[in-house]
Amino acid sequence: MTRRIDGDWYPGAIPDSVAIGAGAFIETSSSFSRFRSQRPSAMRLGDHASAYAGCMFDVGPDAQVQIGDWTLLNGLWIIAESQVFIGAYGLISWNVVVMDCYRAARDILTRRQQLEAFAASRDWNIFNPCRPVDTPHPVMIEDNVWIGFDCCILPGVHIGSGSIIGARSVVNTDIPPNCLAVGNPARVVRELGTEDQHHG
Amino acid sequence: MTDVDPQPCWDGGPLPPSVRVGANTRINGQHAFRRISASTSDALVIGSNTTLDGVQFSIGLNARITIGNYCCFTAAVIMSERSITIGNYVLIGFNVVIADSDFHPIDPAARIADAMACSPVGGQRARPAVAAAPVVVENDVWIGPGAVVFKGVHIGRGAWIAPGSMVTRDVPAGCCVGGNPVRPMELPA
Repeated sequence: MTRRIDGDWYPGAIPDSVAIGAGAFIETSSSFSRFRSQRPSAMRLGDHASAYAGCMFDVGPDAQVQIGDWTLLNGLWIIAESQVFIGAYGLISWNVVVMDCYRAARDILTRRQQLEAFAASRDWNIFNPCRPVDTPHPVMIEDNVWIGFDCCILPGVHIGSGSIIGARSVVNTDIPPNCLAVGNPARVVRELGTEDQHHG
Repeated sequence: MTDVDPQPCWDGGPLPPSVRVGANTRINGQHAFRRISASTSDALVIGSNTTLDGVQFSIGLNARITIGNYCCFTAAVIMSERSITIGNYVLIGFNVVIADSDFHPIDPAARIADAMACSPVGGQRARPAVAAAPVVVENDVWIGPGAVVFKGVHIGRGAWIAPGSMVTRDVPAGCCVGGNPVRPMELPA
């Protein structure tokens, strides 16, 4: 069964390998225009999770993506060749990039060959997988993480539950739970605790 | 530029008169050329076998952007008031910005004058001078998602610009840089 979205401007569908939780929302199938996973259960969007326009699930043939319950994706670009897991109650702002690989050979000649093959075919699979030249490193973002706009979360990063990543940060190291991290490269600037409550 | 290419190169319709495109180059995105003010026939020259997916150009009256062959740019914004030159085999990631101008004056008084000149009810006042300096990106450069390249920057051949980099100074050929502002770093494994 082809799963189209009512009123979708993009002439696509939600891939069969994407599980959509109860009450989850996907604004447009264009978010799956680069979805190429061959896994039977490639992606799960949790119950009441939402993926607004601007999200792009650039998911390679062997990759898995999980988005937890109630997590809000307001224009997230996921580049996955292995695993990208985001927990529940996440708030992911616009133009955030979460990548588990760089999709580019480090070697210039190999990159040229990729670009020539891509120009000949215009097939996004050419950029993927770049293995063995680009080994992916899974990314794990735990529950209740808030990521500000324009952030980049780089391959192999683990962000602990409850933490906040400030806007335009670039996260290239693990971030512990319940921390505020900002900057490029991102550094923990303080812990989030009880003093952050009761501002109502 | 003389090759015959039977396929339409832009999904937005006929190319604007100020844009020249080589053979087997493909451009997606309705907004690609909406902000081109320059009317010269070569304000934007794009080589052959290049892919521009969701890229947006902003080109001032006397500005020029040149892009080489076998490039692939995804949803980048390229803004020129002077000149931006990009070589061959350049990869540019999602949400990258390249600009060769500050677009407004630094001096506070001049900025007030500019704010009025830019207003739609500003009576077409003349704008004060704005700093601009050419940007050059040489062959085989990789620019990761979310990076910003500022005016006057020269990125040398084969450089690797990490995701989210703020590139305010020249990057030597073959160098890997990252951060804000960028510093040399090891090429990621």
